[in-house]
Amino acid sequence: MASFLLRRLIALIPVMCIVLVIVFSLVRIIPGDPAVTLLGPGATEAQISALRAQLDLDKPVVLQFLSYTFGLLQGDFGVSLKSGQPVAHEILTRLPATIELSVLAVIVAVIFGIPIGVLSATRPNSLFDHITRIVSLLGVSMPAFLLALILQLIFGTWLGLLPVSGRMSSFITADAVTGFAVLDGLLTGNLAAAGSALLHLILPTAVLAAFLAATLGRFVRNTMLDVMTEDFIRTARAKGLPQRDVILKHGLRNSLLPAVTVIGLKFAEMLGGAILTETIFAWPGIGRFMFEAIKNRDYPVIQGTTLVFALMFVLTSIIVDLIYGLLDPRIRKKVA
Amino acid sequence: MALWKGLAAAGIALPMIVGAAHAQTNDPKTTLVVAVPSDPVSLEPGTNKAEPVGSEIILNVFDTLIAWKAPDFKEIEARLATSWSVSADGKEFTFKLRDGVKFQDGTPFDAAAVKFSLERTKATNPYVKATFDLIKDIAVVSPSEVKITLSAAYPAFLSILAQPQSAIVSPTAVQKYGDKFAANPVGTGPFVFKSAQADTNVVLEANPSYFRGAPKLSKIVYRVIPDASTRRLELENGGVDVVQQQGQLSSIAAEDIAALKSNKSVKILESSSQIIRQLEFNNNKKDGPIADVRVRKAIASAIDYDGLLQGVFAGTAERVYGPLTSNSWAFDPKMKDLAPKYDPAAAKKLLAEAGVKPESLDLKLYSFQGPLWGAVATFVQANLADIGIKATIQQTEFPAYRTLQTAGQFDIALDGRQPWYNDPDAHITIGYLSSLANTAMTFRMPEDKALDDLILKAQQTSDFEARKKLYFEVQQELMKRVPGAYLFSPKLIVFARANVEGLVINSAPPLNEYWSVYKK
Repeated sequence: MASFLLRRLIALIPVMCIVLVIVFSLVRIIPGDPAVTLLGPGATEAQISALRAQLDLDKPVVLQFLSYTFGLLQGDFGVSLKSGQPVAHEILTRLPATIELSVLAVIVAVIFGIPIGVLSATRPNSLFDHITRIVSLLGVSMPAFLLALILQLIFGTWLGLLPVSGRMSSFITADAVTGFAVLDGLLTGNLAAAGSALLHLILPTAVLAAFLAATLGRFVRNTMLDVMTEDFIRTARAKGLPQRDVILKHGLRNSLLPAVTVIGLKFAEMLGGAILTETIFAWPGIGRFMFEAIKNRDYPVIQGTTLVFALMFVLTSIIVDLIYGLLDPRIRKKVA
Repeated sequence: MALWKGLAAAGIALPMIVGAAHAQTNDPKTTLVVAVPSDPVSLEPGTNKAEPVGSEIILNVFDTLIAWKAPDFKEIEARLATSWSVSADGKEFTFKLRDGVKFQDGTPFDAAAVKFSLERTKATNPYVKATFDLIKDIAVVSPSEVKITLSAAYPAFLSILAQPQSAIVSPTAVQKYGDKFAANPVGTGPFVFKSAQADTNVVLEANPSYFRGAPKLSKIVYRVIPDASTRRLELENGGVDVVQQQGQLSSIAAEDIAALKSNKSVKILESSSQIIRQLEFNNNKKDGPIADVRVRKAIASAIDYDGLLQGVFAGTAERVYGPLTSNSWAFDPKMKDLAPKYDPAAAKKLLAEAGVKPESLDLKLYSFQGPLWGAVATFVQANLADIGIKATIQQTEFPAYRTLQTAGQFDIALDGRQPWYNDPDAHITIGYLSSLANTAMTFRMPEDKALDDLILKAQQTSDFEARKKLYFEVQQELMKRVPGAYLFSPKLIVFARANVEGLVINSAPPLNEYWSVYKK
């Protein structure tokens, strides 16, 4: 197991190097000058060249790349051209908001998606199956911004139950400890802050989770239907195992493997930032940050966030592989 | 079993938490929540690049020596200065300073702080380099008197001193925080910077010992809400008190403005701006149909200006007659007669006189991105089609657009300018001086010594009435050359909850001061 992990972690290095070279060149190929976007339409050439010099953009690209890579090796992601703050710090302040939202969304999606898939598969073509299939089709095909707007209107404007955007009420002062708003509220004994943060999480979580839950439900249903016709299921039944054990221990466990891959991929995608959801709900996450950086041609931020996303994708896929081993003894043995 | 117990506990705890969430710790009656589309870029004068959110916060945390006087912003009033005088040659500006004013960290305000602040901005802020480089010397005459000497006469300098980049910073705080001063700005203003959370909010608290009197609000929370429809929902639900339009075309869509007008819990404050949006010609092009003034005149006469204001803007924009907006002190009333009138027949005649067959013209109409620019471009395209000219719309991302413009690779383009200081100089010099043709998004005027001399003379003449007359002349000269078709000036629109009182919208630049604001 340890050697497996080590091999996967070593394989990380070339992946990150390739990502680094690609993103470093790509951001410089797209037309547009960061100094121009920072200064806006009215800026004169004198203002622009002064700013370019201040931001070191007048140096040759190769030198810029070398100094960036050298900095990276020392854990320095550079400084945001827009805010003047270190990129690593900027990413770290936004990461908790994204993680909080993604983790919660995955949990909610698993809680709803998997049981729905199982129940549908065990009662194929029943009324329940038809309803959940229609609802999940809606969930998969409805664009996030539309679902967000509908939920904001119903729960925010009409019922007045939930806040429509932001992470905390403007009228509450809260101290940041970890950056995870709910946790910070509980840690500092500020129940009002924790409660407000929790309320603010509900709508964006629902939007993110809806898509994943629907995907999961459809996925688990289909693989379960396949698995339930396998020989070992018939054998299990023939042994006289109760229906519950046949479904949960034999059917579900074997259908979960592909589902774990889907969850892993979607989770990595969410960590990479749900740009639309974060924008609509004014959620201070990493996706919105990267999107703004691309618009502003904030090179160090685009590079830094891309590297972090790449890292997360690879790490998530390693974790998925580990979970495979946990779920399936055959894989565990093969690896060992 | 444990699961059920957990669920039951959660069932009891959740309503308690929800209840607690409604127990607010700030008083909503004296806390003003302002929605802004993005984080401020810089909260201090030494690095501020006239970006609206940061600039406005600076004006509420810091003070300038002088400021434009509300409500019409046509006269300058004293702030940290009590009086000022300008020498006969227009190069020396002497300011008498207010006594007894303290920075928010307790440092006394004096002439040394003025010298320190302005010299610091000159050294660190590339945005104002061109104008601040005119400063030859800043002399501390006495603790309450400072004399600024310029290398050339520049009457708009007073307007520059009213800008956020010229705000006075606490020298002790700058020494204390160094590079981190932007994260810990300290001024003399009505509000004290409290905290900033990336992409979330900036919180300011009242400065009880403000020299003009403590503000009525106890707190301002600037909330970052990037999506326009979310800003609207929050305003309707009472989650925010103020939504600013900030001269951008995208803050709240025109159809939403109409919907908000019928909402009794929301009020809409409107004010004329000095922003100009135009259909620009590439005036530096020596060949091609656009080089002929009759073709330019024909295109300018083909546009249905009033139709554009009604059809696309539904009253949220105003007519522009010439190179300056009607609310500028230098606006020449004659422009109303000189401005091109919508007359497709005359336009066709002009094209015929120029020997241009309209169907032979196939123009690319460049435009910024966004639905409103798209609507303007479509309207202009239809107007041109009416006189037989075919135009293809090319909506272009800003950085690429600027490259196209400065390289002169276009015939006609939609463009606009928002002056970052309140002076005709901000529109005229940058827009029309031929030596600047390739250096910014300008009208790319061809070399024209007489016009250039006139523009520079107007820029440098100290006597107010003489200067005004010179700008009248500049406007008349420009109209003869038809450098563009001046399309419209968007109004500054601020949406506020009905109980917000005392807000006055500043027209140039559109930055609001909240010192006088309160909630009923």
